[in-house]
Amino acid sequence: MMTFISGGVRSGKSRFAEQLAEQDAQARGGPLFYLATAATPQEPEMQARIRWHQQDRGTAWITLEEPVALNAILPRLQPNSTLLLDCLTLWSSQVMFASDLSLEEAIKQLSAFIQALADQHIHLIVVSNDINECLPPTECKLLNYVNFLQSLHQCLTAQADQAIQMLSGCAYYWKGG
Amino acid sequence: MKLIIGGYCSGKRRFVGQLYPNARWISAYSGDGLADWPPESSTPSPMVIEGWERWIEADLIGAYDVKQLRAKYANLLDTYLAHEQISKQPVCLIMLEIGRGIVPIEAKQRALRDLNGWLSQDAAERCNEVFYAWNGLVRPIKTMIEP
Repeated sequence: MMTFISGGVRSGKSRFAEQLAEQDAQARGGPLFYLATAATPQEPEMQARIRWHQQDRGTAWITLEEPVALNAILPRLQPNSTLLLDCLTLWSSQVMFASDLSLEEAIKQLSAFIQALADQHIHLIVVSNDINECLPPTECKLLNYVNFLQSLHQCLTAQADQAIQMLSGCAYYWKGG
Repeated sequence: MKLIIGGYCSGKRRFVGQLYPNARWISAYSGDGLADWPPESSTPSPMVIEGWERWIEADLIGAYDVKQLRAKYANLLDTYLAHEQISKQPVCLIMLEIGRGIVPIEAKQRALRDLNGWLSQDAAERCNEVFYAWNGLVRPIKTMIEP
């Protein structure tokens, strides 16, 4: 099963996704994994921010960290578990600006990751950001980034069992409500 | 008249292409201008019009009056509505949602966002069906009301 959640900044995406993941794990009696896609930051402020998030999530969560190679975490997961990937925006920016992966390779890697999780009956919950409802950036690199992220979003919503848009903390179910 | 609105690369064109596979497109992205209306065609067909923010941007070169420009675009919408009623062929407008970012520093960019937002409101008012596209999915946000 796969759930896609997206929305604007501070629209309540992460909180909603965490609650959904906790309920899902409780209902299925499986472990609860959190895949943090942020590369280890150098700034103390960012390190502290990550620690707060980990504390907020509580002890029920097993945190995994992987900025680019998603398949690398597969051996650490267990069948019938729940995996929250937060967030796709960071992963895609690291793929685009800090890796050797081509965009086609990245999309293939994400699709293979989704398939591998489905094979193990792992519920994947993906959180991302809607950054395409403002004036499109004039800089080519940024425009390519928005294009790439939108391609990923469209690929995910097409495959998702649940597609949810967050607006001011409220969830609108486009699919699977 | 139908309106499809959504963010950049949100799946608007694919939705309209499926809705009207044989439509004629007037597209600012293909270099068409608003002067290309009405289309010279012997065979009537559905019309799709897109790229409004480009046409608005072109209107903001030099001196401009936003109220006059809003009225100009509203008049155009009335022309399309009249054309639809006479030709009995549907007119479909595709518009880009650009109003959800930070307020731009530059005045012309602010005017562009204002005019684009007003245009989509004026269009939605005139359309009997309005759809919103989000990450490749599309849903109606205003549906046809039978008289």
